[in-house]
Amino acid sequence: MNYGLRSICFLGSLVVMGATGCDFRAPEFHLNMVQMVSDATPTPVEYQEQIANVLGGMFGDPDEPFALPETGLDIRRLKMAAGPAWTDQKGAAFGLYRQHCSHCHGIDGDGMGPTALFLNPYPRDYRQGVYKFKSTYNPAKPTDEDLHRVLVNGIPGSAMPSFSLLPSAEVEALVEYVKYLSFRGQMETALTNYVYNDLGEEEVTDENGDPVLDDEGEPVTKLIPLDPENDPEQQEVIKELLAEIVDGWNEANEQIIVPAEDAIPTDVSDMKKFAESAAKGRELFYGTRANCMKCHGPTGLGDGQQDDYDIWNKAHLQFLESVAEDPGEGEIAQDRTEVAESLFPVRNAIPRNLRKGIYRGGNRRIDLFWRIYAGIAGSPMPGSGPASPGAQGTLTEEEMWNIVDYVLSLPYENASQPQRALPINTELVN
Amino acid sequence: MAERVTYVRTNKIDRYACALMLVGLMLIGCRRVTDFGPVANPAAAVKVREALLGEAGSGEEGAAVATGTGWASLKGTFIFDGTPPEMEPYNVNKDQAACTINGKAPLQQTLLVDSATKGIANVAVFVRKVSRVHESAEPEGGQVLFDQKQCVFLSHVFPFVLGNTMDIKNSDPVGHNTNIEGKNSFNQTIPVGETIAFKPQKEEAVPVSVRCSIHPWMLAYFLPRENGYVAITSEDGSFEIANLPAGEDLEFQVWHESAAGPGKSLILDSPEAKELKWSKKGRFKIKLDEDEVKELNLNVPSSAFGL
Repeated sequence: MNYGLRSICFLGSLVVMGATGCDFRAPEFHLNMVQMVSDATPTPVEYQEQIANVLGGMFGDPDEPFALPETGLDIRRLKMAAGPAWTDQKGAAFGLYRQHCSHCHGIDGDGMGPTALFLNPYPRDYRQGVYKFKSTYNPAKPTDEDLHRVLVNGIPGSAMPSFSLLPSAEVEALVEYVKYLSFRGQMETALTNYVYNDLGEEEVTDENGDPVLDDEGEPVTKLIPLDPENDPEQQEVIKELLAEIVDGWNEANEQIIVPAEDAIPTDVSDMKKFAESAAKGRELFYGTRANCMKCHGPTGLGDGQQDDYDIWNKAHLQFLESVAEDPGEGEIAQDRTEVAESLFPVRNAIPRNLRKGIYRGGNRRIDLFWRIYAGIAGSPMPGSGPASPGAQGTLTEEEMWNIVDYVLSLPYENASQPQRALPINTELVN
Repeated sequence: MAERVTYVRTNKIDRYACALMLVGLMLIGCRRVTDFGPVANPAAAVKVREALLGEAGSGEEGAAVATGTGWASLKGTFIFDGTPPEMEPYNVNKDQAACTINGKAPLQQTLLVDSATKGIANVAVFVRKVSRVHESAEPEGGQVLFDQKQCVFLSHVFPFVLGNTMDIKNSDPVGHNTNIEGKNSFNQTIPVGETIAFKPQKEEAVPVSVRCSIHPWMLAYFLPRENGYVAITSEDGSFEIANLPAGEDLEFQVWHESAAGPGKSLILDSPEAKELKWSKKGRFKIKLDEDEVKELNLNVPSSAFGL
């Protein structure tokens, strides 16, 4: 064996040791550090630890998930989805999230798994509980069926694959786990806001209730701890915050957009009627009522307004700008810089190129209708229907169906109206 | 011959380099850079869980206890101390004809200081919690206009009492969409010349931004509150909140979009601010006597805006 080859074997074994050895710890949930060191809710380290403990109590950890009964989450399904990937003797699969999802969506569901940086669009961060492709009004949560549909169909035009080959019980377990990660993320935000708004520093008082002063005559302060174990009032607050989050998800089924039967204008199998509807949709698309053209561009290529951001990128952008402007002092500056450096490059929200015929939220007419009606939550895409049940819409349902038909016909429309070829010039030929 | 030896050597070095890079990549690559910050302490987490699983001990927690009777007013001014910054024009890069005035882009409104009085406009002052609300501060159930013209929101900081309806109007010859951030999350197209009614449902602790995705320079702030104890300073920097509950501790939040405090809170350090226990979150405390009209004249140094 020559020297070089031996060295390579040696180094190779080092590689294997390095790879197996350093990843041996059980994964743990981490906090949303952008939120913790942001300008809006600067959270001292003591509070960060206390928030991590409360979240640990409420939701467990990636190997041992837990959910309070009031969440309505199904622990059995969560346990199927959580933990390391393995199969029991009967062939039932466990650790589904880590097997199928975490490499992109991350252990925390923060959309920052190891492969996420290389994907465009970036994988969804579940922690805000905001989802784009759903059947409900813009501010409402998705239904279980909406999440199920995305898992089974995947998202065309993105890296999200279809999981239609998984047994439905496994897909259901994953839907439950995605919701669980959203509950946890939303709870983290609620706790951070609560700690910032209602706890914080208080003046230390002596037995007589007078403020204790330090050497310079300034009142001494201490942090009121987040300690629901010993503070029944905080317990109440935490339960209320959780109830608000859970209610939002439970209301999703009452927030489904159901189109009125009589507003659906055309039978798509009737070519003539479809063309009529699409022609009306075309007028709206380029007009000043629906305003589609402003962002999707004069030819539908998605090359109109491209300067805006979705909420996930906007949050990172605002944080990065605030750190660039003023990193803070001492350890805070170090933390803020470290967090800023860990973020992916911020990307603009680019309007969809409607000439490709690829629709991320599905290509049924109802899918496009929902997008136009409610807009796309978290993105700059506005809705044209009422913002909530019974509210005032911008367009009628029939007009929105016209736009659906035009959008569906856009990939087959000429991008320009080229001048027709002239008939052969007979004089020249002769 | 010599050539061949050189070739082999280079190859070996290449292989070493490759192997080293692999080792390096493995060691660095398998640790996620975002995994910092504290994690849950299992023992503490179990205790929290047990507490939350048990019956909540205290039952009904009383809301803020009403201690006083009668009503009082708070008014005042915010005066800029220093050289006010000049406002840059908005970066109007779309719909020039409709969004400029005689070809000139309108000026930004991030920090407006009155040239005569040095008053600071668009400071939001509002009560955080109260035990009693006077009927004049209850929502009237009416419509409040939120208009936009020349691609500028006409109310830069828009206070709102829940229970009313917001009439979002577009007075421009170009289409807009109005995208309200935060808990009420609203994003709808507003056609030329039309008005869309919107009924926000949720209170915000500080103003949230309102934007138009078609014209991304457009910016306003929206502050929905459960009662009318909210004021936005006018051009001369003055504000007034009438009919506040007297005889109880009131905590006010003070906010300005360019303020340097956390969450854009305005932090003051002057002697009169110290008397009001002005906090590092831009809050001050005050207790008013019945029928009192308290006046606060506050000097705001440019450092409060990070200038």
